[in-house]
Formats: sequence, C-alpha cells, structure tokens
Amino acid sequence: MTPLWLTGIPQADPLPQPGPTWLLWTLLLVTFVLHLVPMNLVLGGAVLNVVARWRARRGAPHAPTLAHDITKAMPVAIAAAVNFGVAPLLFLQVLYGRVFFTSSVLMAWWWLAVVPILIAAYYGAYVLSFRADRPGRGATALAWLVLLLVAAISFIYANNMSLMIRPDVFGEKYLADGRGWHLNLGDPTLVARWLHMVLGALAVAGVGVAALGLARRRHDAAFAAWAMRHGSLWCAAATSVNILVGFWWLALLPPDSLLRFMGRDAAATFVLAIGTLTGLGVLVASWLGARAERPAPLAWATIGFMGVTLVMMALTRDQARWGVLTSLGFRPTTWVEPQWGPILLFVVLLVVAFGSMGWMVTRLFAGEVERPASTP
Amino acid sequence: MNYPIWDLPASGLLIAGVAILHVFISHFAVGGGLFLVVTERRARRDRDAALLDYVRRHSRFFVLLTLVLGAITGVGIWFTIGLVHPAATSTLITTFVWFWAVEWTFFAAEITAALIYYYGWDRLSPRTHLRVGWFYFWNAWLSLVAINGILSFMLTPGDWLTTRSVWDGFLNPTCWPSLVARTAAAAAIAGLYALFTAAWMAPPDLKARLARYAGLGWIAPAVAVVALSLVWSLAAAQGAGVPVREIVGVSGDGPSAWASALARGAEAGYPLARAAARAVVVAGLVCLVLTAVIVFLRPRRYGRAIAALVLASGFVTLGGAEWVREALRKPWVIGQYMFVNGVRLPMAPDAVAAGGGDDRFTVDALDATGVLVAANWVRLPDPASLSATDVRLAEGHEVFRLECATCHTVDGHLAIRPLVSGRTVAALETTVGRLAAPVDAAGQPAPWHAPDLRVTTWRGRHMPPFVGTADERRALAMYLASLGGLDRAALDGEAEQASAGAALFDAHCAMCHGADGAWPLAERPARSVDSLVELIGRLPEVNAMMPPFEGSDDERRALAEHLSTLVGRAVPEATP
Repeated sequence: MTPLWLTGIPQADPLPQPGPTWLLWTLLLVTFVLHLVPMNLVLGGAVLNVVARWRARRGAPHAPTLAHDITKAMPVAIAAAVNFGVAPLLFLQVLYGRVFFTSSVLMAWWWLAVVPILIAAYYGAYVLSFRADRPGRGATALAWLVLLLVAAISFIYANNMSLMIRPDVFGEKYLADGRGWHLNLGDPTLVARWLHMVLGALAVAGVGVAALGLARRRHDAAFAAWAMRHGSLWCAAATSVNILVGFWWLALLPPDSLLRFMGRDAAATFVLAIGTLTGLGVLVASWLGARAERPAPLAWATIGFMGVTLVMMALTRDQARWGVLTSLGFRPTTWVEPQWGPILLFVVLLVVAFGSMGWMVTRLFAGEVERPASTP
Repeated sequence: MNYPIWDLPASGLLIAGVAILHVFISHFAVGGGLFLVVTERRARRDRDAALLDYVRRHSRFFVLLTLVLGAITGVGIWFTIGLVHPAATSTLITTFVWFWAVEWTFFAAEITAALIYYYGWDRLSPRTHLRVGWFYFWNAWLSLVAINGILSFMLTPGDWLTTRSVWDGFLNPTCWPSLVARTAAAAAIAGLYALFTAAWMAPPDLKARLARYAGLGWIAPAVAVVALSLVWSLAAAQGAGVPVREIVGVSGDGPSAWASALARGAEAGYPLARAAARAVVVAGLVCLVLTAVIVFLRPRRYGRAIAALVLASGFVTLGGAEWVREALRKPWVIGQYMFVNGVRLPMAPDAVAAGGGDDRFTVDALDATGVLVAANWVRLPDPASLSATDVRLAEGHEVFRLECATCHTVDGHLAIRPLVSGRTVAALETTVGRLAAPVDAAGQPAPWHAPDLRVTTWRGRHMPPFVGTADERRALAMYLASLGGLDRAALDGEAEQASAGAALFDAHCAMCHGADGAWPLAERPARSVDSLVELIGRLPEVNAMMPPFEGSDDERRALAEHLSTLVGRAVPEATP
C-alpha cells in the first residue's frame, strides 16, 4: 500500500487560521521574550544559589545575603516563568502545531514528565523560601535538587524544540517505537542548543544579581557594590563561552539555513548581526563592570545590552526554526480568517490585566502602612 | 490518523486523572477566593481577630495549593490532551486561541493578585487588601468562564457547526447551565476545604463557628444550586441533540425512570456512564451526610479524619460528574464534528469550504480511500515475509489501533477481548459495519453532513462508525476474531477465501477490469456483496461481451466479496 502521506508533516486542520500570521508571530515572539527573562532567572538563579550557599559555608562575605535573596525570590520567579510560558506555547501551537504536537508525541513520557518535575521544583522552592532564614545542610541539598529538576526541564524542552523542526526524522522514529520514549540525542544541534540556553540563563541570572545590586544601593551600599560586580562576573564568564557556543550551533545548521544568516536572507542576517554585536556589548560591559570601582553605570549598560540581545536572539532562533522547517517541506497555512472581535477583546483585556497587575505590585512596594491588613 | 498515536493503552484515563485533580483544585481556587474575601470582610466587620487569623493561615494553604498544584495540573491537562488527542487539541486551539489568550490575561492577573494578597497581609491596608482579594476572585471566576465556554463547546457546538462563528461556538447551548453549575460547585468546594482547614487550624470555638458558616452558608445552598443546574445542563444537552437518556439507559419518563436506570442498570446505554452517575449520587449523599454530622452533631470536636473524608467524597462526586460529562459526549470528541478517533464528518456540499475541501480524514473520504492508505504513521510489516493470514491480521491490528484503540484496550480498560470472545469473523464483520449510522432528528437515514444529524448506534453503546474499505473491515474482523480465540485453521480459511476471490478475479476478470484494464472496477459504484453475487450470475445480460461465470456457489461468493473491495474506490473530488 502506498500511503498518501509523503512528508513527515500532518495535514493542517480544515479550519482557517483565526488571526493574521504577522499578529500571531508578533505575539509569539513578544511573549516568548517575556518568558525568557524569568525562566533564565530561575535556571541561572538556581545555579547561583547553590554556588552562593557553597561560598557562604566557606565564609565569603555577602554570599549568605545573596543566597537568601535568591531563595526568597525563586517561587515568584517560577510563577512568572510559568505564567509567561503559557502564552508563547499557545501561539506556537497555532502556528507550528502540526510539527510540535508530533514531536511531543514522539517523546510523550519525557514531555509529560515536565509537569511533575515542575511541581516538585516549585514546592521545593517554596520550602526553601520558608526556611530561608535557617540555612543548613538540608537546605543545601534541597537547593541542589531544585537545580537538577529545573535543569532537567530545560533539557527536555531543548529536545522537543529541536525535534519539532526535524520532520524528516519523525517517520523513522515513530515506526521504530511509538511508546513515547524518544529523545533527540541523534541531532547534532541538541547539545549546542541546550548549552547555549543554559549559559544564557547563567548570564541573565548574573544580570539579575547586578540589578539586585542596583536596587539595593541606598539600603546596603557594600552588598550592592559586591552584587553588581559579582553578577557582572557571572555574566561575563557565561557570555564569553556562550558566544562561541552560539557560533558552534550556527555551524551545525544545515547549509541552506546557515546561508540565510550569511546574507541570503536580509532579516535573518540582520537579527544575527545585531544580536552578536549587542552580545559583545554584554560581554564588554559586564567584564568591565566586574572589576569597576563604580560598577553601577556599567551594570545599567549590561542590562540594556542584554535586553536587546535577548530580543535579537529570540528573533534569530525564530529565523533558524523557519529556515530549517521550510527547507523540510513545512508550509504555513494560507487559509486565514481573522476573528477580529475576539482579537480586540484580547488586546483590551491584556492592557487591563497588565495595568491592574502594575497597580497591585506598586501598592505592595509602596511602603509601610499605618494599619496593616493583618490587624482586625 | 493525522498525528502519530501514542502507543499507551487507555491513554484517555491519563487525561481523566490529571483533569479531575485539576478541576477539584481549580474550582476551589475560584470558590475559595470568594470565601477568603467574604470571610475577611466578615472578620473585619465583627472585629474578630481569631477569624481574621484563620483567614490569613487559610490563605497560605490556598496559595500553596492553587498556585502550584492547581496551576501546574492545569498546564498538565494541556500537555496530556496534546499527547493523547492532538487532532482535537489542534482543532480547539485553531478555533479558540483568542479565548485562551483572554483566559491567560485573567490567569496572569489572578496569579499576581493571589501572591500579593498572600504577601500583603502586613504591607497593605485593609481596604487595599480586600480590593486585591476581590480582584483575585473576579479574575479567577472569569478564567472559569473562558474555559467553560470551550469545554461546553466540545459537548454541544451549537450553531458553530453550520456558521463556524466562534461566538456561536463559545455561547453554545450548554455554556450557561454549565457555568452556573461550575460556579456553584466552586462555592460548595470552597466550603468543603474550609471545613478541612478548620480541622487543622482552628481552636474549638472558632471551629464550631466555621463549621456552621461553611456548612450552612456555603455547602448547603451551593449544593442545591448545583443539583438544579445539573438538571438544567442535562436538559439543555438533550435539547441540543446529546442522547442523555440513551447513554444513561433511561427508558420511560420522570424521576423514577432515572432512579431505576441508575439503580438496576439496563441492557442498553453506556455502562461506565451509569457507574459514574451512581458514584455522583452515592458520594454526593455521603458528603452531605458527613457535613451534616459535622455541622449539627460535632461542630466543636470534629477531627481531621472526618474532614478529610468530606473532602474525599466531594472529590469523588466531582470526578464522577466530570466522568458523566465526558461519557455524554461519546462517540464524539467534538460533538457532531470529530469522532473520538479523530475521524471528521464531511462538510455539506454547499457549505463554505475555502480551504477545507481536501480533508482526507472525513468518513466519506476514508471509506473511499481506505484508512490504511490515508492515515499517516501506519505501521505494516513487509508482506513478502509473512503468510496471507498474518498479513491480514497485521492489517486488522493496525485498523484497530487507528480506529478503536482510542478507547479500547485488549485486556484492560474497556477491554475488547471479552466482547469478541468466541465470535466468528462474519459475525464481527457485520457488527463492525453496524456500529453507527447517521439519521436525522426523526430517526430517518440521513447523510453524514445533515444539519440535524443524530447518530444511531449499536445497542446504544455510542461508538463511532467503522470507516474504511470492506477489505479493511474484514481484516479488522479477522484480528478481533483472533483476539477472541478463533483458531488458526479458521483464520487461515478466511484469508484463503479472500485470496481465492482475488485469484478468480485475476484469472477471469482482470484483463478488462483490473486497475490497468479498459474498464477498471474502481470507477464502478459501490455495491453490496449480495448484489454482486446476483450480478455475477447474469454477466452476459450485463454486457454481451462478458462470458458467464462458471464456478461453484462458494467461488461465486468469494469472487463477489473480492469485487466488493474493488468497486467504488475512486477518491472523491475536492468540494469547491
């Protein structure tokens, strides 16, 4: 029997895409960047936390404070990472569902494992947070566990995200075994991708620590200066290696896709070029900030460069995904019928939600009140 | 068929497990949010320090449960449905992405509000704290509204089936009764959790006040509303074409008919749905009785065990109700649009189909092309290395995997083996062909694209129709018979008979009527085997160029059966 199915890609739903592709794509990228920040803080912060606890036990000044602050912030960072992870996953499934659902089924058990792993990591972070004022061996072990769990999630995600753009291997994997135990270990780009993400997380966490220092300048000048330098050092170290890993990942792309970044496609070339330049900006600013007398201006510069780099790198990743997928037969749907009413409703409610979230957060940090809510 | 099937037996139970856990917590997240803010307001109004302290400690439990287990199991449902049924998930997302995006805005505000409510006890003024609490509740409830629309759509898509308007789909016939039922359930569950945490956190006086407050102020009135709105939901579903009575196995009218169907069972209907409905009634009564014991007999002294039992019985009640809801939808995963195995209904010929005309996973398309040809991800062994029987069994196994394994395991959940034990191939083939048929509201045969479609199913078991060629149906029947214990010799005989017909065709007919012949049979309209047997008996009358058939009656039937797999195989043209 000759199957009608010729590529590894399922057919599109016999339903119109409910929004213009440019809008869905923009929302995907914007919400993905919003997800990147807290997600990197969680993964990188988990590493910095473990290291800070280790240094604290050896008597390093300021390390206990850093460990305490990261520990207290971790549950909120996880909440933000999960919350901002929902939206890009949603838009990803609209635009790339045909390949994403397929890759997910191929690695079904691993993908599903993210849920209990995340629950365990989240509760672990809460337990650590409740005991933040009583560090000890048990807390250190728990901090290690949280790190391993979060790292496991990052590895699973790297597998799915790299597998989803390889419809050419879907068939052989499924025909070999459909019980959902596949990973994408045979793909040379997997390790480069994962390493790039982990190092990026360390760099962003370093920037986060530097930002913590900036916020603490008035309350604790000594800790603030140390934090800015310490965070900048983490950022510089991670970024210096990460730039090389990034080029390694690039070199592992199929030639057609690589050439798009080398001038064949204007948008791809532009975002990679800008992202590389600002990445170098991150490296220089953070390297200088790690040893500066007055690290604050350099910390601000690092934050600025990192923000632009994150955006550019998200766009670069999107360009790589597009290039590889289209070279393997993926075609976007052309049947588009925007649901303008629901779209407008979403935009309005998004503004309302963010506005109210902003109001609530400012009230929380507004300062002491005469009579707090805990008194009847 | 469009997506690879995760080879996990009874994979639907995975969705059920994660979903029921999530619903029990998420409805608490809604009702409990209202409970927190209303009770806080009451505590302030009465200057009740003990009650306020209880609210504060309850809010910590609340945050730890709803933000972590509640939220992540919600993501868990999303993950599991995408793995177990990507076709339905993709359909829902393509249709409702903006509503899910709206739900996300509520969720984001809800999470933020919950965290600030929890962290803000010592940092916010009472007025602001209450405001944040109300804000939490409204966003939690609105996220329930969003999800409820999509979930009820799956049962009763309403006018969306013809208009394809997303608002018709969202504001469908069961969305309002379902919303009332879920809101009331949320309030009832909030009361159950309050009883639970009070058993852990409150001294006897406060415990007694909380027990009466939770029991009489929350649980009792909410349960009354739930009961009434469930009746409303079932009536609305029945009105929208869901065969509620048939699925539960009710014959006759009035509450007594329902009671007897639940109590004694029936030959028709869907046994699991009935069992789930029984669980709802029994567990619901247990929950109410235990609550009454706590409130009226032991408000000061009730312990953690009975409080846990109350919560557990509430969990079973809710789980049973969700199970019934899922069962009501069978054989559809999206009502009158997509069957549980991913097969879709064809669109009406005059329907607008700007891009959907070449859907090869509709009933009609699959009947014409065959499911083993049309489906992606088909796993068949190399026929050259196997006997004819083993080839047929492998094909039958694959058809089973594509069409039946969504619900049926071989020996476990909804096991197929007991259903096919000792049956012949012919009996199974006939039954498989009668699983479901399209009728209109009056019960008359109708095409699959009829607007008022109803599905009549064998013994009311609510299975989707078999789709595929007659050959594939035969292969499935052989596979099922092999599961049921039919011996190898009989199976070989069946395979031989099929190949005997093919051999006769090759020898006597293929020169003119084969795929490369001048008059290929694929273009002839489909006919039943009996009609072909009759036709073979008078070939010269059909066309003077054809010689008469000269074989035994058995050979004539074998040839007719083979011809039935060849005729009517032309792929339908794409609808404009």
